[in-house]
Amino acid sequence: MLDLRLIRADALKLGRRYGMLVISLLLTTGIALLVFTVTAIQHASDPLKNGAAGGLHNYQNAIGFLGVMVFIVAAIVGSTAGAQDIESGVFRDLAATGRSRVALFGSRIGGALVIVVPITLLVAAVAAVGSVVLAGSLPTPGAGDFASGTFALLASGALGCVAAVGLAALVGARGPVIAMLLAFELAISPLLSSVGFLGGIRQAIPGNALDRIAAAPHPSIPMALGTAIVVLLAWAAAAFAAGAWRTKTHEI
Amino acid sequence: MTSTAPIGEDHLAIHTQGLGKRFGPRVALESIDLEVPRGTAFGFIGPNGAGKTTLIRLLLGLAEPTSGSMRLLGRDQPKHRADTLARVGAIIEEPRFHGHLTGRENLVVHAAAREPAARERIPASLERVGLTARADDKVKTYSLGMRQRLGIARCLLGDPELLILDEPMNGLDPAGILELRGLIRSLVDEGRTVMLSSHLLDEVEKTCDAAAIVDDGRIVAQGSIAELRGGGSMARAIDIDCDRHVRAASLLTAIRGVGSATDNADLLRVTLTPEAPVDREIVTELLRSLLNDGIAVGRVVPVTHSLEERFLTMTTRLEDRS
Repeated sequence: MLDLRLIRADALKLGRRYGMLVISLLLTTGIALLVFTVTAIQHASDPLKNGAAGGLHNYQNAIGFLGVMVFIVAAIVGSTAGAQDIESGVFRDLAATGRSRVALFGSRIGGALVIVVPITLLVAAVAAVGSVVLAGSLPTPGAGDFASGTFALLASGALGCVAAVGLAALVGARGPVIAMLLAFELAISPLLSSVGFLGGIRQAIPGNALDRIAAAPHPSIPMALGTAIVVLLAWAAAAFAAGAWRTKTHEI
Repeated sequence: MTSTAPIGEDHLAIHTQGLGKRFGPRVALESIDLEVPRGTAFGFIGPNGAGKTTLIRLLLGLAEPTSGSMRLLGRDQPKHRADTLARVGAIIEEPRFHGHLTGRENLVVHAAAREPAARERIPASLERVGLTARADDKVKTYSLGMRQRLGIARCLLGDPELLILDEPMNGLDPAGILELRGLIRSLVDEGRTVMLSSHLLDEVEKTCDAAAIVDDGRIVAQGSIAELRGGGSMARAIDIDCDRHVRAASLLTAIRGVGSATDNADLLRVTLTPEAPVDREIVTELLRSLLNDGIAVGRVVPVTHSLEERFLTMTTRLEDRS
């Protein structure tokens, strides 16, 4: 089912959307650079009042924030990957080649990951370098911190891609999917996490699972690392199954 | 581009039996028995909403039939869909592309869904439709005619044995239509089968060897173009250039098989009834009658009908629908 030619084709379609790439870089690497720069300037101007921009604690906070930004970028890229064939009308011609529709669907996820993973690695590198170079007298993150932080960003990007591609296949348009995922990530997920009587059910919220993977300093919902990984895999599997089912059964 | 070996023994490229499609209570296609011989250009004509595109969607596995069976290139569908469709190229309604990619990149994207050799056919396909010079321009800058040509180039990537073209002449200028007609005939000459869905009856008549006329979800006639022109419910007629029209009409209407004889410009149009013998016999009888009465006859011309005239008598007319 993993067809590299199809994945390359999907990556080509996404890679030629220069505007989307620029926005994706600005939302991730651009914001990371901006935050480190501003904080460093503040620290330089008044070191007693403003702490150093780097260090372990700031790194962990940055990973939490950048995880949200990577998820947003993954939602934009993934929904574009998932809907562009449908919106342009090209999917009908691709399906008429006899190629498995599930393979066509799966390649969209691959194509989105080809774009999102390098962006994620770049922003992870910026965060890592910033947290060390700008640490001042603060303790710097270790290799384990970098590994968990990078893994958390990659997990956030991958989950965003799969969810967006799956939803886009269901909906058939990218705009509503971006709106849905932004609403879930920025409003619904924090809201549900704050509802105490939901108890352990809140472990199923992907944002909480991502916090656990990132080893966030103050996670809202404590959970085991294994549980967090299972939660993310379950969400990804559900999105994949829904999108693949719709792609396979949709009469075009 | 090389011609291809048939993958099935069936002499029909498309064969449907009792094929039907319903959308809820609405019947889109009913009992379609279609036979498209291999190695021909086959026209598929009908009014808007007659079911042409629905049938094409069923053939290409884009929708599921609710009844009947179909074989493509000698293979049962949908059982052998993947193998069969790999040898089919299609334009469904208007050709769609990613506007932000170039023509060549769009073909690369499509070739990825086909066999690896498809990518190597891109230059030849572009050359064949005359798009090489614009291949690296973004498709959003293309005219509709250029998109149609790019759509045909895309069809050729799979070295298809069967091409299904839905209204491929839309947006083409007269020169483009002429070029496309030549391209279709050259594809047929290579042994490929081309099914051409079109509302341009004149083009189907000029391009195709055979055709089917579909109306209201049913096939109302199919056969060679000559058969379709000659058959149907339209009366046969013969125009006669003679003098003394009144006397001639009186003589001719007395002959068995003649329905009427009326003035038609400078000619006398003799309309035949279904019982009339074949043209050669009836013409002999008409001439004998006129010459025996001393009426001079300049020429005798059988009236032929265009496919368009046949089409209009066989299909639901616009005024009938309203």
